[in-house]
Amino acid sequence: MVMRKLQLPLSQTQKVRFERAIERLQSLSSSANSDASVIVTDSIPVNHDDAFLKGHGTSEVDGELLATVCGVVERVDKLVYVRTLRARYKPEVGDIVVGRVIEVAQKRWRVELNFNQDGVLMLSSMNMPDGIQRRRTSVDELNMRNIFVEHDVVCAEVRNFQHDGSLQLQARSQKYGKLEKGQLLKVDPYLVKRSKHHFHYVESLGIDLIIGCNGFIWVGEHVEVRDPMAIDDQKDEEMISSSSTGKEQSHIPLETRQTICRIGNAIRVLSNLGFTVTLEVIMETVNLSNSKNIDIHDMLGSEFHVVVAENEAERRRTKRKK
Amino acid sequence: MGSVKRKSVEESSDSAPPQKVQREDDSTQIINEELVGCVHDVSFPENYVPLAPSVHNKPPAKDFPFTLDSFQSEAIKCLDNGESVMVSAHTSAGKTVVASYAIAMSLKENQRVIYTSPIKALSNQKYRDFKEEFSDVGLMTGDVTIDPNASCLVMTTEILRSMQYKGSEIMREVAWIIFDEVHYMRDSERGVVWEESIVMAPKNSRFVFLSATVPNAKEFADWVAKVHQQPCHIVYTDYRPTPLQHYVFPAGGNGLYLVVDEKSKFHEDSFQKSLNALVPTNESDKKRDNGKFQKGLVIGKLGEESDIFKLVKMIIQRQYDPVILFSFSKKECEALAMQMSKMVLNSDDEKDAVETIFASAIDMLSDDDKKLPQVSNILPILKRGIGVHHSGLLPILKEVIEILFQEGLIKCLFATETFSIGLNMPAKTVVFTNVRKFDGDKFRWLSSGEYIQMSGRAGRRGIDKRGICILMVDEKMEPAVAKSMLKGSADSLNSAFHLSYNMLLNQLRCEEGDPENLLRNSFFQFQADRAIPDLEKQIKSLEEERDSLVIEEEESLKNYYNLILQYKSLKKDIREIVFTPKYCLPFLLPNRAVCLDCTNDDEEPQSFSIEDQDTWGVIMKFNKVKSLSEDDDSRRPEDANYTVDVLTRCMVSKDGVGKKKVKAVPIKERGEPVVVTVPLSQIKSLSSAIMNIPKDLVPLEARENALKKVSELLSRHPDGIPLDPEVDMKIKSSSYKKTVRRLEALENLFEKHKIAKSPLITEKLKVLQMKEELIAKIKSLKKTVRSSTALAFKDELKARKRVLRRLGYITSDNVVELKGKVACEISSAEELTLTELMFSGIFKDAKVEELVSLLSCFVWRERLPDAAKPREELDLLFIQLQDTARRVAEVQLDCKVEIDVESFVQSFRPDIMEAVYAWAKGSKFYEVMEIARVFEGSLIRAIRRMEEVLQQLIVAAKSIGETQLEAKLEEAVSKIKRDIVFAASLYL
Repeated sequence: MVMRKLQLPLSQTQKVRFERAIERLQSLSSSANSDASVIVTDSIPVNHDDAFLKGHGTSEVDGELLATVCGVVERVDKLVYVRTLRARYKPEVGDIVVGRVIEVAQKRWRVELNFNQDGVLMLSSMNMPDGIQRRRTSVDELNMRNIFVEHDVVCAEVRNFQHDGSLQLQARSQKYGKLEKGQLLKVDPYLVKRSKHHFHYVESLGIDLIIGCNGFIWVGEHVEVRDPMAIDDQKDEEMISSSSTGKEQSHIPLETRQTICRIGNAIRVLSNLGFTVTLEVIMETVNLSNSKNIDIHDMLGSEFHVVVAENEAERRRTKRKK
Repeated sequence: MGSVKRKSVEESSDSAPPQKVQREDDSTQIINEELVGCVHDVSFPENYVPLAPSVHNKPPAKDFPFTLDSFQSEAIKCLDNGESVMVSAHTSAGKTVVASYAIAMSLKENQRVIYTSPIKALSNQKYRDFKEEFSDVGLMTGDVTIDPNASCLVMTTEILRSMQYKGSEIMREVAWIIFDEVHYMRDSERGVVWEESIVMAPKNSRFVFLSATVPNAKEFADWVAKVHQQPCHIVYTDYRPTPLQHYVFPAGGNGLYLVVDEKSKFHEDSFQKSLNALVPTNESDKKRDNGKFQKGLVIGKLGEESDIFKLVKMIIQRQYDPVILFSFSKKECEALAMQMSKMVLNSDDEKDAVETIFASAIDMLSDDDKKLPQVSNILPILKRGIGVHHSGLLPILKEVIEILFQEGLIKCLFATETFSIGLNMPAKTVVFTNVRKFDGDKFRWLSSGEYIQMSGRAGRRGIDKRGICILMVDEKMEPAVAKSMLKGSADSLNSAFHLSYNMLLNQLRCEEGDPENLLRNSFFQFQADRAIPDLEKQIKSLEEERDSLVIEEEESLKNYYNLILQYKSLKKDIREIVFTPKYCLPFLLPNRAVCLDCTNDDEEPQSFSIEDQDTWGVIMKFNKVKSLSEDDDSRRPEDANYTVDVLTRCMVSKDGVGKKKVKAVPIKERGEPVVVTVPLSQIKSLSSAIMNIPKDLVPLEARENALKKVSELLSRHPDGIPLDPEVDMKIKSSSYKKTVRRLEALENLFEKHKIAKSPLITEKLKVLQMKEELIAKIKSLKKTVRSSTALAFKDELKARKRVLRRLGYITSDNVVELKGKVACEISSAEELTLTELMFSGIFKDAKVEELVSLLSCFVWRERLPDAAKPREELDLLFIQLQDTARRVAEVQLDCKVEIDVESFVQSFRPDIMEAVYAWAKGSKFYEVMEIARVFEGSLIRAIRRMEEVLQQLIVAAKSIGETQLEAKLEEAVSKIKRDIVFAASLYL
């Protein structure tokens, strides 16, 4: 359990409560392989008589297996590799990521993902706004800014790595693409666990939540995934609306905005405390803030942090019991 | 095209289901009257409001230099409307026209189009054809990739599927996907690939399905319409551009008999005549009866011409050439071609042409490879105008022969079934050298679907007035059998869906993927759902039938019935104990009288008296049954199976197929005295009497006399003085005693049972039994309904997920783990075993050549009879492979996946390890061929497939970050990818 020093002024009682909660959390997770953590150039013990496979983050130097990154040694059968902690995002094929467009280039957008390179989203990897299956033309290339411009937030899937190590993204269906009417939050990538679903729709609040594997989290108003068939008919309107300044899209009810902020702050609190961010934990934190009648802007105060820490300790304890 | 010779095969529209939407505008109707008929039908998804057919004045995307047949123009009309279409027609009818129109259309609209075919060789040929016509064409098969950025891509269906899983940008640009030979979907091994790729295809793309004639095309289209929520048209035609005449050539006979004429009328009298002309081969030839006899392999007696030679001579004389002769094994194919050695069918000019083409084709081979026996042996045959075509040939030779055949330089081609698929390579005549086909465990009649497919090669459009099919018949066949084969309907298109781990992992890996969704959308599920109303109706009628059977005193009768069943099973138990070889072998002496059970089990399932029908005979000798497994020698004599030859009275009858059927009958009835072979289980008891019987039993009288003696014995001692199991045979087993006691107790019960004396007891029992059977049937039907209302494969899916979890491929939340990601990449070999091997580090230890050799076990499935054991290092690796495979199989068994552990382990064959090792070491191909006694083509295919597996492993090694292994695998690829094995196709 990597616990960050909290940068918040705590009163004496808060400090005691907080430390107790952290202690309890640590006692619950003590069984993890804390002894397997290594730093760069640490030697990783392996049985040299037996064959072993060296995976990511390892290198063999003078017959010794060394770690090339800081992290935890993981073993799968004979494969030895080091899982990094608190580093930049390390993409894997099939990951769902959220990123920000930083450049519109030839036939592609460059997307910032907190990876050591920018992600590349090819024009051909994007669904056309008209929903028609066709090859991209030079006209499409000229109209690329109708789809995304710089600073747009997009959601995509990691498709593969090019030979030079750059990352190819793709938008498999209509639910990928531009994200609007919401908030982008950045947390450390290690706080996001890969799971079956990264797209979440919180029906009770009408909120879409996309927890990108790269630690970028999108909280926004729910958008119906548009049926590509239907778009066929109204493609002209669509084209106009997407190129217009977007007056009509600016109206989001106040309530929704507050919900977005509340969820956003919940994620911030979790990130500050270094807790894994999942839909379950986020919603619990939101409910906690609601039940304690804490204002949105107070959620980032010391008191709520302590409450969340205590709550988390309690939650994990009961989970353990089960 | 002349309209006279074409026959209208218009199906009347009233036979169509009511929901059918017949769209026949005026022009079609006129065509229907005069020309070829085709059925046009549309499947709409539910709640779909069909758009009014748009009136468009777009010029056609492509003009054809000939008048289109009605089915072609119908299909093209659908394409112009931008709707999917399934075209179901015979091979020679000209489906390609539809495909090329779709390509032209897409290219015009700047859209991508994918053309998939089931076979690599076919893809190559199609690539060449399309490249000539459209130029903007690329090719992707496992072996080659040419211009993957082209607008029209020709590929194998497997490549398309992997693109869909990986999410290629091509999938976002493809407007039309053409599936050629889509009836391949019923292939048990690969068919599932079609279902996967159709289900996963982009929602906005449209399809062109080209298929052989299938009766349930509508069902298929309904499925596509449902899965993709778009209308799907069906254009079906039975029409052949050249009508066929079917002849029979009886074995040993001299002439052809017209059986089905071009108006598809069956001439029964002519068929009978042909059968009468059948010269019966020697009666003593017992082989014939079990169907192992293969005509042609047994070359006629000295000086006599074989049938095949006579037939080919006749064909040439009557100018029925070129001719394709289909046989069902590679060996037979070659043997038949060898018998043609005396025949010369080419003129000198043509001989020179063959030689030139052949020389330029094999020019790319190295000198060593040119000297390969297969290469050097085939040229003389080819020059004479005779060819061979089967999968055992070197791919390059296969292609040369195809080219020569198309050029008309081969007049007489011996081919296997594979030649009947794909590119248009018609002949005037098609000959079936056999009417039976070995399908893995037995010889069976050719199915009508297979017959249709192969006979589709007969008749060249525009050249021949009619095509000729000749059936070589060497045994009696019922007219009905012949009729159903020659005139039967095509095989229907049924789903062969099954799950694989690779599929599951790939589905689990993507956010949207969901194996259950795939299952729900599969054609399998669709067909199962469809069958439910039918099944329910069946159940209902069966239930009514059951309730109509009313039996008095049912309870007590049932009780009695159960007693009888119990009694029988006990009796059987006793017999089983007594006649275990351990006890009875010493008593199976020749000339001992023996009592046999001759209950007739096929006509009357069970008799209800406690008395069985039995007969008496004399033992001749007993034989050990040779079982197929290798470990036969290690078995002790007591455990082996035995059969006994017994002289007894038999009814000899011939059944419909012309097979002799011998059935033992009670000794007092009429029948011939014959020696029959019976299993031990059929013996009821042994007599203590040993008869005095002459040694020579060949004359009928001697046999008759022997049986008379048995009858005399019986008249003196009606019970036949049986050996007492306990006293004489010294059976001391406790279970024997126990069973006997229980039997005695049961016998007492019988006597007390009052219903036993009631009149008509047997009739009543029969009724009761019928009822019991009905109940059982209803039960099993209900089970089918239950399992089809639930998601098909649901349990198996669960079990397989369990396996993946247990092996650490996915987590409990179905998130794919590292190992799972590796297995995702492996689609050309058994993914679990290979992944486990990789993670166990075996690949790292082994030398490159050994590694390659080990991989050969994954691609080679054939058992070679005389394969030498591989050398020690290789054998060691192989044992490790077997251990891993066994572990994987056992985990699967634990998780309740249905699997036979041993046969799974045995499916990895080490037979070509040595050969592949030598190849990787750099040996010449002819040297390798000396090590492995297999067909050249088979070995080449295996090595090519290994290269595919290696490429997948490279990607896998990359994903786990093991660079050394990656480099090693790359080296392995470079070692095997050379010379003749990877010689480029002539079509490229």
